[in-house]
Amino acid sequence: MTSYVVRRVLQAVPLLAGISVLIYVLLQMTPGGPLAIAENPGSAGRVTAEQLERLRNRYGLDDPLYVRYLRWAADLLRGDFGTSFNTGRPVLEMIGERIPVTFLVTGLSFLVTLLLAFPIGIVSAVRQYSVFDYLSTSVAFLGVSIPSFWLALMLLYVFTFTLGWLPSFGLEDPRQDYEGLVALWDRARHLVMPVTVLALVSTASLTRYIRAAMLDAIGQDYTRTARAKGLSERVVILRHALKNGAIPIVTILALEIPDLFIGSVIVESIFAIPGMGRLFVESAHLRDYPVLMGILMIASLLVILFNLLADVLYAVLDPRIRYR
Amino acid sequence: MEDRQFRAAQQLIRDVLAGRLTRREVIRRGAAIGLSWTIVSTLLAACGGGEGGETPQPTAAGARSTPTGGGVDTPVAASTATPGAAGTPKRGGRAVIALIQEPGQMNDFFNGQSGSFLSVLAVEPLFVPDRNGEYQPVLAAEIPTLENGGISEDFLTITYKLRDGITWSDGQPFTAEDIVFTVEVYQNPESTPQVGAAWEKIESARAIDPLTVEVKMSEINPGYLDLFQQVLPKHKFESTAITQEHPLARLPLGTGPFVFVDWKTGDQITLERNPNYRDPEKPYLDGITIKVTPEKEAAIASFVNGEFDYVYFIVTGDLPTLVTAEQEGKPVHVELLEGGASVEWLWFNLSDNGDPTKPHPVLGDPAIREAIDYAIDRQAIIDQVLGGFGSLTGAFIYAGWAAVDRPPTPYDPEKAKQILDAAGWVPGGDGIRVKNGVRASLRYQTIAGDQTRELYQQLVQQNCKDVGIELRIENVPSNTIFGSWQEGGLLARGNYDIVMSRDGYEVDPADWAAIFTSASIPSEQNPGGFTYCHWRNAEFDAAVEEANSTLDPEVRRQAYQRAVEIFARERPALPLYRSASADAWSTRLKGIKSIWFNPRGTLYSAADWYLEE
Repeated sequence: MTSYVVRRVLQAVPLLAGISVLIYVLLQMTPGGPLAIAENPGSAGRVTAEQLERLRNRYGLDDPLYVRYLRWAADLLRGDFGTSFNTGRPVLEMIGERIPVTFLVTGLSFLVTLLLAFPIGIVSAVRQYSVFDYLSTSVAFLGVSIPSFWLALMLLYVFTFTLGWLPSFGLEDPRQDYEGLVALWDRARHLVMPVTVLALVSTASLTRYIRAAMLDAIGQDYTRTARAKGLSERVVILRHALKNGAIPIVTILALEIPDLFIGSVIVESIFAIPGMGRLFVESAHLRDYPVLMGILMIASLLVILFNLLADVLYAVLDPRIRYR
Repeated sequence: MEDRQFRAAQQLIRDVLAGRLTRREVIRRGAAIGLSWTIVSTLLAACGGGEGGETPQPTAAGARSTPTGGGVDTPVAASTATPGAAGTPKRGGRAVIALIQEPGQMNDFFNGQSGSFLSVLAVEPLFVPDRNGEYQPVLAAEIPTLENGGISEDFLTITYKLRDGITWSDGQPFTAEDIVFTVEVYQNPESTPQVGAAWEKIESARAIDPLTVEVKMSEINPGYLDLFQQVLPKHKFESTAITQEHPLARLPLGTGPFVFVDWKTGDQITLERNPNYRDPEKPYLDGITIKVTPEKEAAIASFVNGEFDYVYFIVTGDLPTLVTAEQEGKPVHVELLEGGASVEWLWFNLSDNGDPTKPHPVLGDPAIREAIDYAIDRQAIIDQVLGGFGSLTGAFIYAGWAAVDRPPTPYDPEKAKQILDAAGWVPGGDGIRVKNGVRASLRYQTIAGDQTRELYQQLVQQNCKDVGIELRIENVPSNTIFGSWQEGGLLARGNYDIVMSRDGYEVDPADWAAIFTSASIPSEQNPGGFTYCHWRNAEFDAAVEEANSTLDPEVRRQAYQRAVEIFARERPALPLYRSASADAWSTRLKGIKSIWFNPRGTLYSAADWYLEE
């Protein structure tokens, strides 16, 4: 097992290097560039050719692609993610300040998803074809098919613009300086809608996975055996069926964790939350290569790590699986 | 102004002041009696009530306004009683501004993104243009002119006099050394400023005394009043090499009513009241929070819901929503400024596929260009497609101090047909006219994907078809149209017939007029050229050259007047309409003045803002 993990970690190094070359080249190949806004004749053409030249020099945009890549990679190996073209600030600092906000929103919605999806999925499976099952199935399909931007706007329309219960933007009231419990309450009010939107969509799909996995487990011989031994239904479902059914679910969940880091650009934009999703999309619009590379590299690393973690967890949960 | 027209104008002004007219009626009646948009927009500012409507000065409307006092906070304060301010301004509170597109730096000197203009809450310019495009001094004591010796005889040396008693927000005095330093920063090749071309014409700057600075230009610089929209505080920098990474390039230090204290990227920017502001009574607000809200629809909904006091910034497309909200009694006030900075143009290619020696087979005939001019129903575009927001202009110099008041070409399809008949363009079997075997059939291109545009594009197409000219719509991505000569851009290469795009200028028309001169026609030898009409007119070139040879406003004005007449006669491009611009704020925010050229100039009055509740 240990040698397996070590081997996988070592394999990740060339993989990451390959990814970095690929995304670096792909990013540079997209039309436009970091100076497109300044170059755009629509912006009154106020930046002169000489001023542009100075900016190009500063960003090293005139060097050949491989030189730029090698310079970037060398900096990265020293732990330097570079400086944003747009803000002039260190990339790592910009990413660092987005992480807590992103995790607050995505983490809470992940938690809500787990708390909702497991009970609903299990009950749906146990009482297959019951009214509850049909109801949860319908809601799940609705949740999967509703576009999150639409849901977000509808929630805003109802709870802010019609009822006036919840604030429409941000994570705190910009006019007040709350402290203590009041601040917590204020924060909670701001989080309700974004978390709801994110949680609804992911709960819907996770419920379906859990239901399917549980149905599969309930039909297995070991469940019948457990029942035959005279165990209570509760123990049969939670100890025997769930434990086995949960194995593929754990993999799914482990693979979703990198997504928590990436955030959600739609929800972050509509509710004006300064998260990672927006940083990424806004940087993409501006062709802010250093920031984009930083986010993509961290995200790639997380995906690789959590894939490995999922594989390891698989072995831990299912003794039949052995890695060599 | 004729006597009859003058009396009608007087009556209109009285009606406006009595609050008897809506904006729309003012526009209609103003246009009917032939008032210029400059005047009408001044009147508009006064009607519809609201705190934005400072009393207009009827005498100032046509004549050049005289600077009174000075300071962004008080250009017309002497004559202005702010209506709606029945009580005295209240102290305290925090205004919240929604910012849609967050810039990389809150600093106009180092950033070209629109959002960096919000820096004017903390940073003041030397001069700022008023509604008529006349510059007024802010940190300067006076406007340099030939008469007061501020402009040298050869127009190459400008002497700026600074206002006495100004301090930076950290208490240090603001002096001529700061101006000299700012020039040095610009000239240091290690620095990366993003400012206008006027800066390139600076040769050197020298402080004569703490309040006087002499700037030598390498060539005549019509943008001399547009320089120093931002001055850098010398005492805060160690070197003249300053880039976007410097903390003060990101959040500048200024002399204005507020001070930047914090920027949580992507979230909010906090400003507090400047304790060292020159007017100890002001600003009234404790501070301003700029909240980044990237989703415009949501931001406007929150604004209408009363959660924001101001949105940066409102464009024509937002007007229907906002005007409706105002009419429904939502807590927003919309300030409509007819006559925005940009105009939608039909650019004609006057060369044969970029070959400057041969005229365009169809558009080379002036009759075709004239006929198209008369064939287009411009008012229908505004009324049927733009929801009534927009105005017409007949002059290519339509804004700023040099604006020429020239009526738009009327919609007259019969006249268009007569012109074509007279020029020998005979309708063929399919109704499209033909002359010497050449069909009057032209490509008509604009940026693909803009639905509003595509609507009136079809209107224009139909208008032209009605008089026997076929326009074939072939819309393409913006890069294809605007690409450089090397990239094979359609405009640069002259590989087009008619292109429709928005363009324009702000206060001074010098750079704008240059884009029609033959010297800048793009070619193999001149790939950076920008005269996309590929138009050669010696008379026009001479008029523009004369305007560029002096800083005497009267000489320039007359030269531009001539250029406008030549342009209108030759029609290298046709104006379709001038976009409306507007600004909006919440009804609880008081003290806002909307008296500057830039519609977002309302931000210059932040010292006077206060919250009513």
